[in-house]
Amino acid sequence: MRWATKALILPQPLRNTIRLANVLRRRQLIAIKYKEAGLKTNSAMLVPFLGGVLALSVVADASAQASPWVGQIKVSRGIVALERGGQKFPAPVGVRLKENDVILTEANGSVGLMFNDNSVLSMGPNGEVLLERYAYDSTTYLGAFDAFVKRGAVSIEAGNLANASPESVRVKTPLAEIRGQARNFAVNVEGK
Amino acid sequence: MMRRGGIQLVSDLSLVALLLAGCAGQRETYAVLPDAKGQAGSLTVTPKEGAPVKLNGAYASAVGKPGSAPEAAKLSEEEIKAAFAEALSARPDAPLRFTLYFKEGSDELTPDSAKELERVLAEIRKRPAPDLIIVGHTDRVGLLADNDRLALKRAEKMRGEMVRQGLPADSVQAAGRGEREPLVPTADEVAEARNRRVEMLVR
Repeated sequence: MRWATKALILPQPLRNTIRLANVLRRRQLIAIKYKEAGLKTNSAMLVPFLGGVLALSVVADASAQASPWVGQIKVSRGIVALERGGQKFPAPVGVRLKENDVILTEANGSVGLMFNDNSVLSMGPNGEVLLERYAYDSTTYLGAFDAFVKRGAVSIEAGNLANASPESVRVKTPLAEIRGQARNFAVNVEGK
Repeated sequence: MMRRGGIQLVSDLSLVALLLAGCAGQRETYAVLPDAKGQAGSLTVTPKEGAPVKLNGAYASAVGKPGSAPEAAKLSEEEIKAAFAEALSARPDAPLRFTLYFKEGSDELTPDSAKELERVLAEIRKRPAPDLIIVGHTDRVGLLADNDRLALKRAEKMRGEMVRQGLPADSVQAAGRGEREPLVPTADEVAEARNRRVEMLVR
Protein backbone atom coordinates (compact mmCIF):
# COMPACT_ATOMS: atom_id res chain seq x y z
CA MET A 1 0.00 0.00 0.00
CA ARG A 2 2.62 2.49 1.10
CA TRP A 3 4.79 1.79 -1.89
CA ALA A 4 1.98 2.38 -4.33
CA THR A 5 1.35 5.85 -2.92
CA LYS A 6 5.02 6.77 -2.79
CA ALA A 7 5.55 5.67 -6.35
CA LEU A 8 3.48 8.67 -7.38
CA ILE A 9 5.63 11.08 -5.39
CA LEU A 10 9.06 9.90 -6.46
CA PRO A 11 9.62 10.34 -10.22
CA GLN A 12 9.89 6.99 -11.96
CA PRO A 13 13.23 7.54 -13.77
CA LEU A 14 14.88 8.52 -10.49
CA ARG A 15 13.57 5.40 -8.74
CA ASN A 16 14.83 3.18 -11.53
CA THR A 17 18.27 4.75 -11.51
CA ILE A 18 18.62 4.45 -7.76
CA ARG A 19 17.47 0.88 -7.80
CA LEU A 20 19.76 -0.15 -10.63
CA ALA A 21 22.74 1.53 -9.01
CA ASN A 22 21.94 -0.33 -5.82
CA VAL A 23 21.70 -3.73 -7.46
CA LEU A 24 24.86 -3.27 -9.49
CA ARG A 25 26.75 -2.01 -6.46
CA ARG A 26 25.68 -4.96 -4.35
CA ARG A 27 26.70 -7.43 -7.05
CA GLN A 28 30.09 -5.78 -7.34
CA LEU A 29 30.65 -5.75 -3.58
CA ILE A 30 29.79 -9.37 -3.23
CA ALA A 31 32.21 -10.29 -6.01
CA ILE A 32 34.96 -8.33 -4.27
CA LYS A 33 34.21 -9.92 -0.92
CA TYR A 34 34.35 -13.36 -2.44
CA LYS A 35 37.76 -12.70 -3.91
CA GLU A 36 39.17 -11.19 -0.75
CA ALA A 37 38.04 -13.72 1.78
CA GLY A 38 36.32 -16.62 0.06
CA LEU A 39 33.64 -16.08 2.70
CA LYS A 40 29.96 -16.70 2.64
CA THR A 41 28.41 -13.26 2.26
CA ASN A 42 25.74 -11.72 4.43
CA SER A 43 23.93 -8.41 4.41
CA ALA A 44 25.84 -7.04 7.40
CA MET A 45 28.99 -6.93 5.27
CA LEU A 46 27.29 -4.61 2.83
CA VAL A 47 26.22 -1.95 5.30
CA PRO A 48 29.43 0.13 5.51
CA PHE A 49 29.83 0.09 1.73
CA LEU A 50 26.32 1.31 1.08
CA GLY A 51 26.89 4.50 3.07
CA GLY A 52 27.20 6.62 -0.04
CA VAL A 53 23.82 5.70 -1.43
CA LEU A 54 22.10 4.95 1.86
CA ALA A 55 20.06 8.17 2.07
CA LEU A 56 18.63 7.58 -1.39
CA SER A 57 18.29 3.84 -1.12
CA VAL A 58 16.14 4.10 2.01
CA VAL A 59 13.58 6.03 -0.01
CA ALA A 60 13.87 3.68 -2.98
CA ASP A 61 13.54 0.57 -0.83
CA ALA A 62 10.54 1.91 1.04
CA SER A 63 8.81 2.77 -2.19
CA ALA A 64 9.62 -0.49 -3.94
CA GLN A 65 8.83 -2.98 -1.18
CA ALA A 66 5.61 -3.17 0.74
CA SER A 67 7.13 -5.42 3.39
CA PRO A 68 10.20 -7.47 4.27
CA TRP A 69 8.50 -10.54 2.81
CA VAL A 70 10.15 -11.95 -0.27
CA GLY A 71 7.92 -14.95 -0.83
CA GLN A 72 5.50 -17.45 0.61
CA ILE A 73 5.21 -21.20 1.15
CA LYS A 74 2.53 -22.33 -1.29
CA VAL A 75 3.00 -26.10 -0.93
CA SER A 76 4.12 -27.92 2.23
CA ARG A 77 3.94 -31.71 2.64
CA GLY A 78 5.25 -33.87 5.47
CA ILE A 79 7.62 -32.20 7.93
CA VAL A 80 8.96 -28.86 6.73
CA ALA A 81 10.82 -26.38 8.95
CA LEU A 82 11.91 -22.78 8.70
CA GLU A 83 15.05 -21.52 10.42
CA ARG A 84 15.14 -17.78 11.10
CA GLY A 85 17.53 -15.90 13.39
CA GLY A 86 18.83 -19.18 14.84
CA GLN A 87 15.35 -20.45 15.75
CA LYS A 88 13.47 -23.27 14.08
CA PHE A 89 9.74 -23.12 13.31
CA PRO A 90 7.28 -25.43 11.59
CA ALA A 91 6.61 -24.23 8.04
CA PRO A 92 3.09 -25.03 6.84
CA VAL A 93 1.36 -23.59 3.77
CA GLY A 94 0.98 -19.79 3.94
CA VAL A 95 4.13 -18.98 5.92
CA ARG A 96 5.91 -15.93 4.53
CA LEU A 97 9.60 -15.82 3.81
CA LYS A 98 12.42 -13.35 4.40
CA GLU A 99 15.93 -12.98 3.09
CA ASN A 100 18.32 -15.31 5.00
CA ASP A 101 15.60 -17.81 5.91
CA VAL A 102 16.58 -21.48 5.74
CA ILE A 103 13.98 -24.04 4.62
CA LEU A 104 14.46 -27.68 5.67
CA THR A 105 12.56 -30.82 4.69
CA GLU A 106 12.56 -34.11 6.59
CA ALA A 107 12.63 -37.57 4.94
CA ASN A 108 8.87 -37.32 4.30
CA GLY A 109 8.86 -33.62 3.42
CA SER A 110 8.62 -31.51 0.28
CA VAL A 111 7.96 -27.82 -0.18
CA GLY A 112 7.06 -25.26 -2.87
CA LEU A 113 7.95 -21.58 -2.52
CA MET A 114 6.75 -18.66 -4.64
CA PHE A 115 8.62 -15.35 -4.61
CA ASN A 116 7.44 -11.79 -5.24
CA ASP A 117 8.58 -11.85 -8.87
CA ASN A 118 6.73 -15.20 -9.48
CA SER A 119 9.95 -17.18 -9.32
CA VAL A 120 9.34 -20.64 -7.91
CA LEU A 121 11.63 -22.93 -5.92
CA SER A 122 10.52 -26.41 -4.93
CA MET A 123 12.42 -29.04 -2.96
CA GLY A 124 12.10 -32.75 -2.24
CA PRO A 125 12.92 -34.69 0.99
CA ASN A 126 16.02 -34.25 3.18
CA GLY A 127 16.68 -30.84 1.71
CA GLU A 128 18.12 -27.61 3.04
CA VAL A 129 18.15 -24.30 1.19
CA LEU A 130 19.23 -20.82 2.32
CA LEU A 131 17.52 -17.79 0.74
CA GLU A 132 20.81 -15.97 0.68
CA ARG A 133 19.66 -12.86 -1.15
CA TYR A 134 16.45 -11.56 -2.65
CA ALA A 135 15.91 -8.10 -4.12
CA TYR A 136 13.13 -7.25 -6.56
CA ASP A 137 11.70 -4.04 -7.97
CA SER A 138 8.18 -4.80 -9.16
CA THR A 139 8.24 -1.81 -11.53
CA THR A 140 11.52 -2.46 -13.37
CA TYR A 141 11.84 -6.20 -12.62
CA LEU A 142 15.44 -5.50 -11.59
CA GLY A 143 17.00 -7.35 -8.70
CA ALA A 144 18.73 -10.58 -7.75
CA PHE A 145 17.89 -13.94 -6.23
CA ASP A 146 20.59 -16.22 -4.81
CA ALA A 147 19.67 -19.52 -3.20
CA PHE A 148 22.23 -21.78 -1.54
CA VAL A 149 21.26 -25.45 -1.79
CA LYS A 150 23.14 -27.26 0.96
CA ARG A 151 21.49 -30.64 0.33
CA GLY A 152 18.50 -32.11 -1.46
CA ALA A 153 16.83 -32.01 -4.88
CA VAL A 154 15.64 -28.56 -5.90
CA SER A 155 13.86 -27.30 -9.00
CA ILE A 156 13.78 -23.63 -10.02
CA GLU A 157 11.56 -21.67 -12.33
CA ALA A 158 12.74 -18.08 -12.72
CA GLY A 159 10.09 -15.34 -12.80
CA ASN A 160 10.09 -11.63 -13.67
CA LEU A 161 13.67 -11.18 -12.43
CA ALA A 162 14.82 -13.23 -15.42
CA ASN A 163 12.85 -10.94 -17.76
CA ALA A 164 15.05 -8.00 -16.75
CA SER A 165 18.26 -10.00 -16.65
CA PRO A 166 18.37 -13.76 -17.39
CA GLU A 167 21.24 -14.42 -15.02
CA SER A 168 19.80 -12.63 -11.98
CA VAL A 169 18.53 -15.93 -10.55
CA ARG A 170 21.40 -18.04 -9.26
CA VAL A 171 21.80 -21.23 -7.32
CA LYS A 172 24.88 -21.97 -5.29
CA THR A 173 25.87 -25.40 -3.96
CA PRO A 174 28.79 -26.65 -1.85
CA LEU A 175 30.69 -27.37 -5.09
CA ALA A 176 29.47 -24.88 -7.70
CA GLU A 177 27.44 -21.90 -8.83
CA ILE A 178 24.67 -22.37 -11.42
CA ARG A 179 23.10 -19.68 -13.59
CA GLY A 180 22.14 -19.04 -17.18
CA GLN A 181 19.46 -18.23 -19.70
CA ALA A 182 17.48 -21.33 -18.78
CA ARG A 183 14.44 -20.29 -16.74
CA ASN A 184 13.82 -23.86 -15.63
CA PHE A 185 16.48 -26.01 -14.08
CA ALA A 186 17.17 -28.48 -11.30
CA VAL A 187 20.03 -29.12 -8.89
CA ASN A 188 20.56 -32.16 -6.66
CA VAL A 189 23.10 -32.15 -3.82
CA GLU A 190 23.73 -35.63 -2.40
CA GLY A 191 25.86 -37.33 0.24
CA LYS A 192 27.04 -34.44 2.33
CA MET B 1 54.76 -42.89 25.34
CA MET B 2 54.88 -45.44 22.55
CA ARG B 3 51.41 -46.54 23.33
CA ARG B 4 49.98 -42.99 23.26
CA GLY B 5 51.66 -42.38 19.90
CA GLY B 6 50.07 -45.54 18.52
CA ILE B 7 46.58 -44.52 19.55
CA GLN B 8 47.13 -41.08 18.02
CA LEU B 9 48.14 -42.66 14.71
CA VAL B 10 45.11 -44.94 14.66
CA SER B 11 42.71 -42.06 15.32
CA ASP B 12 44.40 -39.96 12.61
CA LEU B 13 43.99 -42.79 10.13
CA SER B 14 40.34 -43.28 10.98
CA LEU B 15 39.77 -39.54 10.54
CA VAL B 16 41.34 -39.69 7.06
CA ALA B 17 39.19 -42.71 6.22
CA LEU B 18 36.07 -40.86 7.36
CA LEU B 19 36.95 -37.82 5.24
CA LEU B 20 37.57 -40.00 2.18
CA ALA B 21 34.25 -41.76 2.68
CA GLY B 22 32.53 -38.39 3.00
CA CYS B 23 34.08 -37.13 -0.22
CA ALA B 24 33.33 -40.31 -2.14
CA GLY B 25 29.61 -39.94 -1.42
CA GLN B 26 29.39 -36.24 -2.25
CA ARG B 27 27.83 -35.69 -5.63
CA GLU B 28 25.85 -32.97 -7.37
CA THR B 29 23.62 -33.20 -10.43
CA TYR B 30 22.61 -30.22 -12.57
CA ALA B 31 19.95 -30.33 -15.29
CA VAL B 32 18.15 -27.95 -17.66
CA LEU B 33 14.38 -28.44 -17.71
CA PRO B 34 11.91 -27.36 -20.42
CA ASP B 35 9.16 -24.84 -19.57
CA ALA B 36 5.43 -25.49 -20.05
CA LYS B 37 5.82 -24.78 -23.80
CA GLY B 38 8.80 -27.12 -24.16
CA GLN B 39 11.31 -24.25 -24.44
CA ALA B 40 14.65 -24.58 -22.68
CA GLY B 41 17.73 -22.37 -22.40
CA SER B 42 21.33 -22.86 -21.44
CA LEU B 43 22.92 -23.13 -18.04
CA THR B 44 26.48 -22.52 -16.88
CA VAL B 45 27.83 -24.54 -13.97
CA THR B 46 30.89 -22.86 -12.48
CA PRO B 47 32.66 -25.18 -10.03
CA LYS B 48 34.88 -24.01 -7.19
CA GLU B 49 37.58 -26.17 -8.75
CA GLY B 50 38.06 -26.67 -12.48
CA ALA B 51 36.54 -25.23 -15.63
CA PRO B 52 32.88 -24.20 -16.06
CA VAL B 53 30.53 -26.46 -18.01
CA LYS B 54 27.73 -25.20 -20.25
CA LEU B 55 24.51 -27.18 -20.59
CA ASN B 56 22.40 -26.53 -23.68
CA GLY B 57 18.76 -27.47 -24.14
CA ALA B 58 16.13 -29.53 -22.36
CA TYR B 59 17.43 -32.32 -20.11
CA ALA B 60 21.09 -31.49 -20.72
CA SER B 61 22.83 -32.49 -17.49
CA ALA B 62 26.16 -32.67 -15.67
CA VAL B 63 27.51 -34.31 -12.55
CA GLY B 64 29.95 -32.67 -10.15
CA LYS B 65 32.21 -34.30 -7.57
CA PRO B 66 34.66 -32.80 -5.07
CA GLY B 67 38.07 -31.90 -6.40
CA SER B 68 37.26 -32.05 -10.11
CA ALA B 69 35.34 -30.11 -12.76
CA PRO B 70 31.73 -31.16 -13.44
CA GLU B 71 31.32 -33.53 -16.36
CA ALA B 72 28.49 -33.71 -18.87
CA ALA B 73 26.20 -36.62 -17.97
CA LYS B 74 24.12 -38.76 -20.28
CA LEU B 75 21.03 -38.86 -18.08
CA SER B 76 17.78 -39.60 -19.88
CA GLU B 77 14.66 -37.47 -19.53
CA GLU B 78 13.13 -40.27 -17.41
CA GLU B 79 16.13 -40.47 -15.10
CA ILE B 80 16.06 -36.70 -14.53
CA LYS B 81 12.31 -36.68 -13.94
CA ALA B 82 12.70 -39.54 -11.45
CA ALA B 83 15.57 -37.84 -9.58
CA PHE B 84 13.49 -34.66 -9.18
CA ALA B 85 10.01 -36.23 -8.98
CA GLU B 86 9.23 -35.03 -5.44
CA ALA B 87 10.64 -31.54 -5.98
CA LEU B 88 8.69 -31.15 -9.23
CA SER B 89 5.43 -32.38 -7.71
CA ALA B 90 5.79 -29.75 -4.95
CA ARG B 91 5.83 -26.87 -7.46
CA PRO B 92 3.09 -24.35 -6.68
CA ASP B 93 0.39 -23.71 -9.30
CA ALA B 94 1.43 -21.09 -11.84
CA PRO B 95 -0.04 -17.60 -11.26
CA LEU B 96 -3.24 -16.87 -13.21
CA ARG B 97 -3.94 -13.43 -14.72
CA PHE B 98 -7.37 -11.79 -15.03
CA THR B 99 -8.18 -8.48 -16.72
CA LEU B 100 -11.24 -6.52 -15.60
CA TYR B 101 -12.54 -3.40 -17.39
CA PHE B 102 -14.01 -0.12 -16.09
CA LYS B 103 -16.49 2.51 -17.18
CA GLU B 104 -14.92 5.66 -18.66
CA GLY B 105 -13.25 7.93 -16.06
CA SER B 106 -14.65 5.78 -13.25
CA ASP B 107 -13.66 3.12 -10.74
CA GLU B 108 -16.83 1.18 -11.48
CA LEU B 109 -16.54 -2.13 -13.35
CA THR B 110 -18.35 -2.72 -16.64
CA PRO B 111 -21.28 -5.15 -16.21
CA ASP B 112 -19.35 -7.95 -17.97
CA SER B 113 -16.33 -7.50 -15.74
CA ALA B 114 -18.48 -7.41 -12.62
CA LYS B 115 -19.51 -10.97 -13.56
CA GLU B 116 -15.90 -11.92 -14.35
CA LEU B 117 -15.05 -11.03 -10.75
CA GLU B 118 -16.76 -14.28 -9.72
CA ARG B 119 -14.20 -16.26 -11.69
CA VAL B 120 -11.38 -14.42 -9.93
CA LEU B 121 -12.88 -15.29 -6.56
CA ALA B 122 -13.34 -18.94 -7.60
CA GLU B 123 -9.66 -19.15 -8.53
CA ILE B 124 -8.66 -17.58 -5.21
CA ARG B 125 -10.75 -20.11 -3.29
CA LYS B 126 -9.06 -22.99 -5.15
CA ARG B 127 -5.65 -22.08 -3.78
CA PRO B 128 -4.45 -23.07 -0.27
CA ALA B 129 -2.49 -19.84 0.38
CA PRO B 130 -3.59 -17.29 -2.21
CA ASP B 131 -2.14 -13.85 -2.70
CA LEU B 132 -3.13 -11.22 -5.19
CA ILE B 133 -1.31 -8.48 -7.11
CA ILE B 134 -3.58 -5.81 -8.61
CA VAL B 135 -2.30 -3.19 -11.07
CA GLY B 136 -4.62 -0.43 -12.29
CA HIS B 137 -4.44 1.23 -15.73
CA THR B 138 -6.26 4.00 -17.65
CA ASP B 139 -6.71 5.14 -21.23
CA ARG B 140 -4.92 8.30 -22.40
CA VAL B 141 -7.74 10.78 -21.91
CA GLY B 142 -6.75 13.48 -19.41
CA LEU B 143 -3.60 14.48 -17.58
CA LEU B 144 -0.88 11.95 -16.70
CA ALA B 145 -1.15 12.79 -12.98
CA ASP B 146 -4.96 12.42 -12.99
CA ASN B 147 -4.60 9.07 -14.69
CA ASP B 148 -2.06 7.94 -12.10
CA ARG B 149 -4.64 8.73 -9.44
CA LEU B 150 -7.48 7.02 -11.33
CA ALA B 151 -5.39 3.89 -11.99
CA LEU B 152 -4.52 3.60 -8.32
CA LYS B 153 -8.14 4.28 -7.34
CA ARG B 154 -9.27 1.40 -9.58
CA ALA B 155 -6.70 -0.96 -8.07
CA GLU B 156 -7.62 0.15 -4.53
CA LYS B 157 -11.30 -0.35 -5.20
CA MET B 158 -10.67 -3.94 -6.28
CA ARG B 159 -8.38 -4.48 -3.32
CA GLY B 160 -11.13 -3.34 -0.97
CA GLU B 161 -13.57 -5.67 -2.69
CA MET B 162 -11.22 -8.65 -2.31
CA VAL B 163 -10.63 -7.91 1.38
CA ARG B 164 -14.41 -7.65 1.88
CA GLN B 165 -14.66 -11.10 0.29
CA GLY B 166 -12.37 -12.45 2.99
CA LEU B 167 -8.85 -12.28 1.58
CA PRO B 168 -6.40 -11.08 4.30
CA ALA B 169 -5.41 -7.45 3.70
CA ASP B 170 -1.71 -8.29 3.71
CA SER B 171 -2.26 -10.82 0.91
CA VAL B 172 -3.41 -8.16 -1.57
CA GLN B 173 -1.11 -5.57 -3.14
CA ALA B 174 -2.45 -2.71 -5.23
CA ALA B 175 -0.53 -0.36 -7.53
CA GLY B 176 -1.36 2.09 -10.32
CA ARG B 177 0.47 2.47 -13.62
CA GLY B 178 -1.69 5.29 -15.02
CA GLU B 179 -1.67 5.52 -18.81
CA ARG B 180 1.90 4.24 -19.09
CA GLU B 181 1.12 0.64 -20.06
CA PRO B 182 -1.81 0.64 -22.48
CA LEU B 183 -3.05 -2.76 -23.63
CA VAL B 184 -3.80 -1.12 -26.97
CA PRO B 185 -1.32 1.65 -27.87
CA THR B 186 -3.11 4.88 -28.89
CA ALA B 187 -2.36 8.57 -29.45
CA ASP B 188 -2.82 10.87 -26.44
CA GLU B 189 -6.42 11.83 -25.55
CA VAL B 190 -7.90 8.75 -27.27
CA ALA B 191 -10.69 7.05 -25.29
CA GLU B 192 -9.94 3.33 -25.52
CA ALA B 193 -12.15 1.02 -23.46
CA ARG B 194 -9.64 -1.86 -23.47
CA ASN B 195 -7.07 0.30 -21.67
CA ARG B 196 -9.40 1.15 -18.77
CA ARG B 197 -8.60 -1.92 -16.73
CA VAL B 198 -7.01 -3.63 -13.76
CA GLU B 199 -4.84 -6.69 -14.14
CA MET B 200 -5.17 -9.14 -11.29
CA LEU B 201 -2.58 -11.80 -10.76
CA VAL B 202 -3.83 -14.63 -8.57
CA ARG B 203 -0.85 -16.49 -7.11
